[in-house]
This record gives sequence, structure tokens and C-alpha cells, in this order.
Amino acid sequence: MQNFDLMRNVTIGQYIPTGSPIHRLDPRTKILAATFLILGISFNASIVANTLFLLLVLVITYLSRVPVRYMLRGFILGLPVLVLIFVMQLFFQGWTEPAGKVYFQWGILRATRYSFQLMAISLFRVISFIFLTSLITMTATTTELTHGVESILKPLRRIGLPSHELALILMISLRFVPTLAEEMERIMKAQASRGADISRQGFWRPDKAARMILPLIVPLFMSAFRRAEDLVLAMEARCYVGGEGRTKYVELHARPVDYVVVIVSFLFMLLLIFYPWPSVRAIMAALGLPDVL
Amino acid sequence: MDPVIRLEQVRHVYNADSDAPVTALDGVDLAVRPGEYLVILGHNGSGKSTLAKHLNGLLTPTAGDVWVKEWNTRETARLREIRSTVGMVFQTPDNQIVATIVEEDVAFGPENLGVPHDEIVARVDWSLEQVEMSALRKRAPHMLSGGQKQRICIAGMLAMQPDVLVLDEATAMLDPLGRKEVLSIVQRLNREQGTTIVAITHFMEEAVDADRLIIMAEGRIVMQGTPRELFAQPERLRDLQLGVPQATRLAHALHERDSAFPQAILTADEFVQAYAAYVDNQPLSAPPPAVPQADAAAEGREPIIELVNVSHNYMHDTPLEVTAIEHVNLVVRPGETLGIIGHTGSGKSTIVQHFNALLSPHVGTVTVFGHDTERRDAPIREIRRQVGLVFQQPETQLFERYVGDDIAYGPRNLKLSREEIRERVRRAMTAVGLGFEEYKDRVTFALSGGQKRRVALAGVLALEPDVLVLDEPTSGLDPAGRRRLLALIDALRDQGITLVVISHNMEELAEICDRLYVIAGGTTILDGTVEEIFSRQAQLNELGLDVPGVTRVLALLAERGLLTPDQAAAYTVDAAAELLGSAIDAKL
Repeated sequence: MQNFDLMRNVTIGQYIPTGSPIHRLDPRTKILAATFLILGISFNASIVANTLFLLLVLVITYLSRVPVRYMLRGFILGLPVLVLIFVMQLFFQGWTEPAGKVYFQWGILRATRYSFQLMAISLFRVISFIFLTSLITMTATTTELTHGVESILKPLRRIGLPSHELALILMISLRFVPTLAEEMERIMKAQASRGADISRQGFWRPDKAARMILPLIVPLFMSAFRRAEDLVLAMEARCYVGGEGRTKYVELHARPVDYVVVIVSFLFMLLLIFYPWPSVRAIMAALGLPDVL
Repeated sequence: MDPVIRLEQVRHVYNADSDAPVTALDGVDLAVRPGEYLVILGHNGSGKSTLAKHLNGLLTPTAGDVWVKEWNTRETARLREIRSTVGMVFQTPDNQIVATIVEEDVAFGPENLGVPHDEIVARVDWSLEQVEMSALRKRAPHMLSGGQKQRICIAGMLAMQPDVLVLDEATAMLDPLGRKEVLSIVQRLNREQGTTIVAITHFMEEAVDADRLIIMAEGRIVMQGTPRELFAQPERLRDLQLGVPQATRLAHALHERDSAFPQAILTADEFVQAYAAYVDNQPLSAPPPAVPQADAAAEGREPIIELVNVSHNYMHDTPLEVTAIEHVNLVVRPGETLGIIGHTGSGKSTIVQHFNALLSPHVGTVTVFGHDTERRDAPIREIRRQVGLVFQQPETQLFERYVGDDIAYGPRNLKLSREEIRERVRRAMTAVGLGFEEYKDRVTFALSGGQKRRVALAGVLALEPDVLVLDEPTSGLDPAGRRRLLALIDALRDQGITLVVISHNMEELAEICDRLYVIAGGTTILDGTVEEIFSRQAQLNELGLDVPGVTRVLALLAERGLLTPDQAAAYTVDAAAELLGSAIDAKL
């Protein structure tokens, strides 16, 4: 049985109001802190640091009081990518030297300590990325984020970046996501009622896929264009002429805790990038444990 | 007093440079007086929406001038003043909302005008108060009902402090409850704030309270005056293809029998007074009308669709889960015409999507033609063929360039032979009144709204379903389009197709249905014949639903003792005219 409830599996972009301390942070803080943390971990290749980082992300998730089960739903969507990364690393990284201990070898495939470490690091990293980005959208409303982005980009206006226009585009896109998702659901159901076989079968046959997708895409685009035309009229009727001379209804106010969070995450980034993180074996040796890895 | 908007000999031609220019406005003179409530009526294509877009300079005339206060709408430097003087609310609420939060959308206009922050806050508060939406100010617009969204759009305009509010078919897409909400707010603004209202519509009911009424046809103003003056000319209104309130139609019908019966009737109350005066307060002495018995044969037949204790949740298994329907019990019997009544959001669309296994129940069972749709071996495709489902505004699902191809999509999916497909397309097109040879090669997207809807209907009929489910088949159509579609549904019924019609238009349901279900809060509240349902006016009103206009008139007459309760049992204008006609016959 097909499932037409499209919005059900999209966890990114859904606000879960729990009123946690994370929710109460200024949206700019959330964007900046997440950016610093993601930057920091991207430049870090230590398994120890990546493990600790994942723990930190889980602590933040716990603080946000967003159900972990719900976060994992978004993670499942990213699973195919993860599997792909694993396979690639098994194929291409097996012969990278220094490889460390070789666990097993089968033809050209070779699993080494190095490739296993890489796999673990990428797994932890992808989970951290998905959790952090989902956390931003689950703890801040899209509107807050739009204002946050606009405010962060504002200094760049001087070098010609249309920060207000970008924010408005973002806002309107977000505004129409549920509307168009609903529309898509309706069109899918309508075509299914006319005998369309709307399933994932045959996506490796582009001709068949096109024949399946056209009855969905054409009406959706027609509707999107019609909506866009209407929206232009409605915005003109409300005297919209661009960002010049506009005032703002929403004003963001950062609290001391926001500054603290931004500074701490900036320091974390520096720590992640520049601190010489020890390897697991070094730690085990320091603790006097036998070298089993 | 000086008019706030003045149109002088306005002409507007679309595609003026091409070989097929379309004259939408052809010499319109109009002065909108400050503080008045002006309604502009006309069928689709009469030029009324083009006229509306001239009022705030969204369009400028091809010839002639439009003046808003002292500004000509051609002066682009003055557009800011013009547009903040004349606010405009459009047809589709969804397509006018910019922001993801209600209050921020209301603030959009004043932000554009560069109003200082504190002043914007004050205006947003005030505007939301005016449309009674203060409690929902932090909500996301897509979580609101159509009426609520449209109120937000009005608030967005009020925040710009306009003198005039133009409603360009702002109620056409709303259900009766939403329409009532919006109208009562607009009327209050007119009364209490002195806001000038220009409402463009094709619903006669909305014209009743206007100070002045203008009727347009072929780009010209063809009638104007007070509603009472215009409603007294039934022949002309009929020629202009306008729908008249049922109380007025009833008065016209009685006037035809005896010209002493007044025909300038606007509301049910007025009708009752006129009738009381006409019969000198003498109760009707005729026998009550024979209540048509429910089709006993249909009653006995085995149901073809049966829902037992069905519940369905949206966003199932997530923190945002909501119950759409709960404990629904419903049967469809072969050959009957079933009506489903309920507000938008009551769950009626969710219910019918179980009929062809688009949705599966989370609790309960759905049996369609003997198959439990939940079972793995249920022939889903066959069920979808047998139960044809036509969605709301089905014209939006058309995708092929040519009419014939679009209709052939269903039969092609059935993998029929070419000849069989052609034959089915021919039959389906004939059934919806589109000639096969004439229309099959027409470009789909160039057709009129009503024609597109018929093409979409043919697209489902080409599957030759045994049951046809129609979700709001007449929504968004003008009265003439409505009448054509209802006639078409009637013809389908005569061919023996089982019909399920969802609607919130009681008058339409009373005309075509045998049996009705009333849905509220996601469950079936009432079911029974048209007579059984519409005789429970009080209970329906409690649910925010109405009975047909004539039924309300008869109930009022019964209250005044002019009819006995068992006489007050007519649900269509024809039946009511027949009933009251006997009083006239007795008098003559």
C-alpha cells in the first residue's frame, strides 16, 4: 500500500516546540554555533575527537528535549548515503598507507585499521551533521531562522549582497513548502485515482520514470507558476518595491547567554582544529592497556 | 462628497498588439463614494476582476483614466499613496500570504511603507483585533482555515490604513462558514470604521446588504441601483446568468402565479412578511406535500462500499500526529446518490479517500465491492477503477497538451487497445457535453475554467467507474457553470452510476441527493434521507451548518403559524413554490 502522507518523513524543517533552553536561544546564535561546530569537526580527523563530538551533540539533543526517535527518522533518510560512503572507503582506502593492522583481505578488498577508523569517523560525522542541522530547524521556527540569516548577512550588504532579498526568497520558499507538498499529495492521489501506478518501481528505466513523473510534475509546476503570479500581484498591492526604505517588525535581541554560546562554540572550533588529539592506541598505552587494535 | 475613486470611460484591452485582442472593459464610468458598500456582480468573463485591478493601479487603462483621490493611476510615482489608499484582497488566500507567521504577514505592508517599528506593532495589534485573529497571531498560516487566512489578508491590508477595501472575489474559495466570517468582518469595518468597501462577487446573497449594486456584462456596466431595485427584475437577472437567493426565487415563482405577490424580496424575513400580508395571516389549508419515500429498493441492496468504525490519523506515528476521522460508519448502496455534508476540515475528504484505497484505515475496516482494502491481496487498481474519485478543482490535475490525450490517460493506464481507448474517450466526452470531434484536439490549457473541469471529469469517467465520487464539484464556478455541472450530474445519475457528492452547498445537495451523511469533528453525526436531515434545522445550526434557503423560509412560516410543521417540508424552490402555490390558488 502506498503512503501519500508526504510530510511525514521530512523531519528537517519541522519545528518541535518543547520550550527548552536551546529553543530560547537567539536564532543567530544557533546558526553561528552550529556553523562553528560543523566547521571545526570537518577539519578534524581524530577518532577520539569525533567520538567526543558525537557525545556533545547527543548532550545538546538531550537538552533540546526533542525526541531522539524523531531525530533518527531523518537519519534513516540519510542512510543510503552512509552505506555508499562505507563501500567507497572499503574499496578505495584499503590500500592507503600507513594502513596499520590489516584485519582481513579478500581479493582487492582489504580492511585495515585505517579504513575502519575512517568509516567510524564518517559515521559519527554524518550523524552529528544530521543531528545538528535538524536541531537548528527543530528548535527555531523557520521565521526566526530567516530573520537570523538576514541579520547575519546584513554586514555583507555593503559589498552588494542583497541580504533582504535573499531572506525574503528563503521566507517565501519556506512559506510555500507545506502548500506545495499538500498540492503534490493531492495530484498524486488524483492521478492514482486515474490508474497511475505511483511507485518507486523502475526508476532505473528513465523513459518509464518520465512517463510516471510527468502527470505529477506538469500540474505542480502549473500551479506553482499560477501561485507566483498571484503572489506578485498581492505583494505589489502591498507596496513591495524591494528592501530600500523598509522597516522591520521583528527585531532580534541577543542575551548574554547567546554571546557565551557563540564564544564557547568558536573556542570549540579552534580546539577541534588545532589541538593535537591523541590516537586511541596512544590513550590505551598511557593507561597501560594491552595493544589489541 | 467627492468620490474616492473615479473611473472615466475606462477601456482595457488584453493582448492589444496581437491579432487576437480581448476587450475586457469597454467604457466604464464609475464613482466610488466614501463610506459606501458597493457590490459589483457579474458572471465569469464579464470584466469585473479587470475592473478591480484598475482600482489600485495594478492595471492601467488602455484608454480613459482612473483617479484615486487626486492621483491618476498612471503616475507611477504616486503608486505608493494609491495602493495604501485602496487595499485589495484577492481570491485565493494562500497565494497572498508572504510570511510564515501570521503577525509578520500583517506587518508586511507597513514594513514596505517604511513605518517606524513601534507604529507597526500598534497597527498589527489593531488590525488583528479588527479581524478577531489576535489569539492566532503566532500561528503558521498553513495551519489556518480558508476563512481565517482570508481574515489575515484583510488585516494585512488594514495595517496599511486604507480608505477603501476592494475584495476581488475574496469569498469565492471559502466554505459557507468562512464566507460568513469574512462578510461579517467586512460589514463591521464598513459600519464602524467607515471603510469604503468594493466587493466583487458572483454570489447574489452577498449583494443583499450592499448600499449600491453594479452588474457587469461584456465589459460594461449593464445595471445599477439598490439591491431591491435590481432584484425586482428577475428576467434581466436570469438573462445575465446570475444566481438569485432562494427566498427571492421563491417570490418570483409565486409572482408568476399571481402578479399581486411582490417580487422585490431579498431575505427570508422579508418573504415571510410579504407572504403573511398576502394571505392575510390565514394559515394554508392545503394538505401537506407527499414526502417522497426513500427508495426502498436501494435500502435493501447490499452495500458496495462499507466503512466500519474507521479512524485515520495524519502525520501518523510522529509528534505532530492529528486525528482526521474517528469511528466513521458509512455505507454506499448501488444506484443511490449520496451526499456528504460538513465544513472544510471536518474530515469528509479523508473519508472518501478511503473509498478507493488512497488512504487505509488505522482502525476499522473498509470493504469495497467485497474486498477488504487493507488485505495484501486486495485488487487496489481494480478498486480504483471501479470507484472514480474526482477531487476538488480537478482541472488542476490536467497535464496533457490536448484534451483527448488527457482524458485517455486513465484508459491507457488500463492497457486497453487503441480502439477501445478512443471509444471510451468519445463516450466520456459525450457524457460531459464536450463534442469528441470538436474538442479532442483543443489545447487543454486554453479552455475556460468550467470546460477544464468537465475535461477532468471526463478523465475519470473514461475509466467507466461504477461509483463516482465528486468532491465539491461546483466550488469556484459561477452560477451558470454550477447549473451546467448540476445538470450533468443529474444525467449521470439517470444512467445508473452510483454517486457520492461532497458539498457544503445545501441547496445543491437537496436537489440531487437521495440520502445524506452529516460529518463534523471527524465523525458521522447524522445520516438519513434529505427530508430527515433537513427537518433537523436546529441540530444542523448547532454544527454551524445551514438548511436550504427555502427550508428556512418554510420554517419561519411555520413559526408564525402560517404552515403546520408537516407542511413545512420542502427542500427545493420548485417544491416550496408548489406547496405555497396552493395558498395562492385558494385565494384567487
